[in-house]
Amino acid sequence: MNNDFSKPQRESAFGIVVMGAHTMLKIGKASFFLFIIAFVKMSSTSFTYLILGISAIIIFSFIFAYLWYLKFTFFLDKEKQEFVVNKGIFNRDQVIIQLDKIQQVNINQNILQKIIGVYGLKIDTAGAHGEEISIKAIDETSAYNLKEHLLNSRTVTEAQSEIENENHKIAETPFLRISAWTLFKVGLTSNYGQSLALLAAFFYTVIYEGRQLLDAFKINKDEIQSTVTGMLTIVTVFILIACLLIVLLIINLVRTFYKYFELEISEHKNTLLLSSGLIAKKNTLISPNKVQITKYSQNYFQKKMNMLNMSLRQAHFGQSKKGHEMQGNTLEIPGCNPTERDELLKMILGEALLKGKTFIPDWRFLNLPIFFKLILPVVTFLIIAFNVAELKPYIGVSITYLIIGILMIYISYRRHRVSVSRDFIIKTSGIWDISNEIMVPNKIQAITTFQYPWHKGVDVGHLTLHTAAGQIHFKYGNYTEIKQLVNYWLYQVERKNENWM
Amino acid sequence: MTTETFFTNEVIDLDLLPKYEDIQLSRPHPNYWKIICINLLIFFGLLGIALGILLFFVDEVKPNAKWIIPLYLALLAIFFLLFRASFKKRGYAIRTHDVIYKSGIIAESTTIVPLNRIQHIELNEGIFSRIYKLGSLQLFTAGGQTGHIHISGIAIDDARRIRDLLLKKLDLLENPTIELNANE
Repeated sequence: MNNDFSKPQRESAFGIVVMGAHTMLKIGKASFFLFIIAFVKMSSTSFTYLILGISAIIIFSFIFAYLWYLKFTFFLDKEKQEFVVNKGIFNRDQVIIQLDKIQQVNINQNILQKIIGVYGLKIDTAGAHGEEISIKAIDETSAYNLKEHLLNSRTVTEAQSEIENENHKIAETPFLRISAWTLFKVGLTSNYGQSLALLAAFFYTVIYEGRQLLDAFKINKDEIQSTVTGMLTIVTVFILIACLLIVLLIINLVRTFYKYFELEISEHKNTLLLSSGLIAKKNTLISPNKVQITKYSQNYFQKKMNMLNMSLRQAHFGQSKKGHEMQGNTLEIPGCNPTERDELLKMILGEALLKGKTFIPDWRFLNLPIFFKLILPVVTFLIIAFNVAELKPYIGVSITYLIIGILMIYISYRRHRVSVSRDFIIKTSGIWDISNEIMVPNKIQAITTFQYPWHKGVDVGHLTLHTAAGQIHFKYGNYTEIKQLVNYWLYQVERKNENWM
Repeated sequence: MTTETFFTNEVIDLDLLPKYEDIQLSRPHPNYWKIICINLLIFFGLLGIALGILLFFVDEVKPNAKWIIPLYLALLAIFFLLFRASFKKRGYAIRTHDVIYKSGIIAESTTIVPLNRIQHIELNEGIFSRIYKLGSLQLFTAGGQTGHIHISGIAIDDARRIRDLLLKKLDLLENPTIELNANE
């Protein structure tokens, strides 16, 4: 193998084995249950067919792998600074990656690759698929050589980040410090959902394990069940619920303290240093221009206590493996007061936050959620309830559900706002926790506008802004205004070639 | 630098800005409809064979034939109509600074990707596409799964040309920034 990768070349011939095994595994996984069924159902005479089938799959995998190996070539285009891969047996695919768009090059080995003595090489860009290019078999020196070549163009930026790292060692006085008392308040007022999920998971495992234990010791389940139901009077239920709520609050407090104890934020030249943690102190260094979306949220209690939670969302670097999207690296800063928030925002956004023209959704915003979440289920319930006598007492409950639901959807409609000024886009939403997501037009990656044909006449449409840290939706807006905004943002993004990261 | 002066500036700007919604979009190649049909026929052919085998060999399924067959035919018709509708709605345009792609089955959605946000470009040729000399172009951004554009059914020569054009523009976009960084 030549060392500069300038000519198209194949991967190591061992790649056939790796790829073959990989394909075999894939087919095996896909048809695993089929095999089980075949194995159980089939009479012993057709056993030979099974063996034949398996060997056919093996042979097919290796033929496939051989063809794959023949067609898979890669090379480095020095002049254009591109890495080009040609692949595909029946399809002819060409993947071109510009070297400076590469985020990560991973070199790794699985068991088979270890046995054969080759390496796998994966190239990540910030694109959607996570791994854009994966070379299955390459020998060690070539792998590191190639990595060197691929990341060469990035040496400038890496050197920069090293300097930043050194800078942060010179300690400066933090401009934001969250006290234990504030954390206590935070613990009481936020993140119920997460703690509830934790609690539910805990109870689920306890009950599940308990069942297993009962089964194991052959204890009579009915006896326990009858004693439990015997204990369940209205009073005990209330006590139980109260206990649960207290436990929930305590869990919430402990979690908050564990994660955010002594949270400090300090600024160094161009970067923010966040440090927090009760037992293990976590230090995070971020440069403000890498923050894609800044968010702060506040609920009713928090408003009364004059504090809010902030979170900084960064770009995710090809971590969206196995299909599901990672929600980016999010940094949470609980319990800021408004002045601290403004200071932090100024640091991240470069200037003071300015609310611009506010756009509100059309009343049609209410239609779909009210129909699907309220009217449809309630009507179905009522129809069943009028036919089933046992359900009749619960009709009142369904009416309350309807009223509360309408109220909540109406609040969410009133809160759904987007405010646009020259430098900022602020999206407000929420029912209980009202959140403001702030982004700079420059962080927009792509824009989608969307309209149902039956909204054409009333000029209503939807807007999605795609950023590297998730999307921002604005629903049921005035479509003419949305189109105008899109044109404006496109102009802002395309006019100058600013870095978004 | 008061906000008001900026704001009035914007209002004038907004109407003078180029409008993405007025751009004449290029339609996918007419042969692409044939590829969609072939793909649909293969899918429904396989489904039909599977159903046929079930109906023929499994006795419990046999009485259900009277609604399975109409359902199958109805699905076939619906799929063809939906794909036809979505085929008619598709369109793309390459502007100096961005790429526009419109699609949708019932609703119309338009996605716009500025050229300076493109991460990488993929050109794919499927087995049937090669017969009709078509290709599909994918433009990836850092905006995740939904933030990328997939334009299918472009004549392969056009697709190559667009790819080269976009790559050239990307290069042009990259070079000035490198110089700027060096100056800083």
